[in-house]
Amino acid sequence: MPPRIPVASRRLLSSRPLSFTIVELQRRSASSSATTPEVYDVVCVGGGPAGLSLLTSLRASPVTSALKVALVEGQDLYKSRLRSDAPLDSFSNRCSSLTPASVRNLQEIGAWNHVNHARVQAYQEMQVWDGVSDARISFDWDSARPLLSPRKPTQPTTIAYMIENVNTTTALLSRLSELGGVDIFSASRVESIELGADTEQLDLSSWPIVTLSNGRTLAARLLVGADGANSPVRTFAGIASRGFDYNRHGVVASLKLEGPGWGGPNHKIAYQRFLPTGPIAMLPLPGDMATLVWSTTPERAATLKSLAPNDFVAMVNAGFRLSPTELEYLHTLPSGQEEEIAWREKHTRVDERSVPMRVASVQQGTVASFPLRMRHADTYTGERVALVGDAAHTIHPLAGQGLNQGQGDAASLAQTISEAVKSGQDIGSTLALESYNSDRYAENNTMLGVCDKLHRLYSTEAWPVVGLRSVGLRAVDAMGPLKGFLMGRAAGGS
Amino acid sequence: MSSLSLSRFTPTACRLAARSSRRAAPILYRHPNSSPSFRHHTTHSTPTSANSSVDPNEVSHFNALASSWWDPHGPSRLLHLMNPLRHDFISRCRASTASSSPPIRYLDIGCGGGIFAESAARLPTTASVTAIDPTPEVLRVAEAHKRRDPALMAPNKLTYLNKSIEELPVPSSPAEGYDVVSVFEVLEHVSAPGPFLERVMQQVRPGGWLVLSTIARTWTSWMVTNVVAEDVLGIVPKGTHEWSKYVNEGELKEWFGRQKGWGGGVGEMRVMGVVYVPGLGWKEVPGGEGWGNYFFGVRRDEV
Repeated sequence: MPPRIPVASRRLLSSRPLSFTIVELQRRSASSSATTPEVYDVVCVGGGPAGLSLLTSLRASPVTSALKVALVEGQDLYKSRLRSDAPLDSFSNRCSSLTPASVRNLQEIGAWNHVNHARVQAYQEMQVWDGVSDARISFDWDSARPLLSPRKPTQPTTIAYMIENVNTTTALLSRLSELGGVDIFSASRVESIELGADTEQLDLSSWPIVTLSNGRTLAARLLVGADGANSPVRTFAGIASRGFDYNRHGVVASLKLEGPGWGGPNHKIAYQRFLPTGPIAMLPLPGDMATLVWSTTPERAATLKSLAPNDFVAMVNAGFRLSPTELEYLHTLPSGQEEEIAWREKHTRVDERSVPMRVASVQQGTVASFPLRMRHADTYTGERVALVGDAAHTIHPLAGQGLNQGQGDAASLAQTISEAVKSGQDIGSTLALESYNSDRYAENNTMLGVCDKLHRLYSTEAWPVVGLRSVGLRAVDAMGPLKGFLMGRAAGGS
Repeated sequence: MSSLSLSRFTPTACRLAARSSRRAAPILYRHPNSSPSFRHHTTHSTPTSANSSVDPNEVSHFNALASSWWDPHGPSRLLHLMNPLRHDFISRCRASTASSSPPIRYLDIGCGGGIFAESAARLPTTASVTAIDPTPEVLRVAEAHKRRDPALMAPNKLTYLNKSIEELPVPSSPAEGYDVVSVFEVLEHVSAPGPFLERVMQQVRPGGWLVLSTIARTWTSWMVTNVVAEDVLGIVPKGTHEWSKYVNEGELKEWFGRQKGWGGGVGEMRVMGVVYVPGLGWKEVPGGEGWGNYFFGVRRDEV
């Protein structure tokens, strides 16, 4: 994802030798300035889903509601809210698949009620297949039950919920204003973060002091970096983030299909086809709408974005139907894909009910792309610093886990803070934060690793690998209980 | 001799071994807190200055530990990890009888670098914390660390005094005593627990609680604290513990049973055994008071 907050952190520049002098000078003058910072227990930089969820948890719990908390967000939070009368034939291109575990957490903190439910789509089935061999696996709770055992009425039917990110953030903001008690600095950029001074009265030399573009200075007992992949808070804390770029871009778009999908409005299906360049996924939205995430090379992403709407629509339909070789050729044409594809589809046998319903049109202005990265911070905590969401980890979107990991981080950090408050610990001390790091690091690392391996596994056309992975996929598909286990993990359960 | 005078339980050989190595650490650790004071006359206790019962050897030991007191990975790590259990235990004691309602006034004896004192001062139910320790160097560490938290700098919230218990004025009337008086990981550093506790008890108001934690004097605790923790694992600084000074829970119960006006009602004497499990942290273990670290709480009867 692109960085959410356009923060020009001076600390970021410090990796360039030439900037060093300037940085040092500014630090000195700032620490000698006479302005007294306002003291907060928690300052959260970044008003995305993870940061908002953390603050909502803290405000909603009686244990932590006495903490003095602030939110700093570079964008105007109120301008970017979802309107309650937003039309249902128009969706944001930034959607996420919320797991039942994430939804449960939003319910517990009282935010789920504030979601615009007409714009949320639950789905009950996933179809995943190999674009090279056509080996396929289908996920639904009914086929995942143990052999011969009857379906229990309590068994869940929903795998996950498709929701626009703006719907999630609007609900959290609305719940936060209902709870009150957060000092919100919206449309305020972080100008600098530096350590405080040791004066006669107080020793703030371990406290991060955040200076905002509006001139305010905030001293943070605990500074939370919910500030995205290029996190200035992480840079301030000197925490390295390691990983690599996949040399792939995710192309997103909001699409209108020819109908509500093959299962009708009450049985929605998510589709993902692994192509050698990356997976193409079609995820259901309410009505006839759907959202596209097509991971592909930067060159092909550029081609797709340059196409006329009719050619783009034809390419998406082809992405689920034609062979990798044909798709490669189609990306070399500057235009005219619609005709070319119509001719080729006549000569390709496709079981239409095994692929998503045809796309009828693409919503204007929603075709966009972002670079795919894998990043993991060395640690999530430091002295008076904690990282959540993309600031801590960036994941390949193929399993739709990014936003859910951020929600898990927020819930875990809120729990850690709550435990610390109960026993009178300083919530910014590394000791108090230890349990957050140990709770989340291994779990996120596993998910990052699995998604990375899946990406690599399906990036090849070498026949032995294709053969093995196809056998694997078919074997898993035949084994209900194993599928149930995999689905439980995907749903965020235990 | 009172049962709390340990010398008669201590084989001379053991005592000498413990002393010569001066390693101490509990299995669970004992707080390298300061030592309490109490002057006294057990046969083997180190002579102390005329007006204090503090053991000078203990003071110098804790002076040396002072700089690393707040290092979460330093020699006091086990104490930091134990701290939330202290609050659990106090809450449990106070919940077991009709205790005075918040805000609560605390006196922490042998506060060391202030691990417990700071945490108690941060609780929303706390009115004030007075914390004393005879070791000047750890008190300086405590004062310096307090300045790092504006919440602790509120007037009268947290007051450190470089005093031994004998130097602390006795409340002019019992009702002016403290709601909670804590003596954590101190008793095992005291050579004459009886007279020391008598001093401490004068600070508790009627209806208030005296809460302490220490280590049982058993072969297990000797093995774990003096040999394993200090020599083998090195997780506790050498010379922290002197096994002969450990007090058993049965001895405390019996001793308080004989004190008039203490622990008279049902549930007014409580105990909780705890054990440190590497990788898991401190865990409550029913019956653990018989062989390792334990908490002990006793309530002063209402008048």
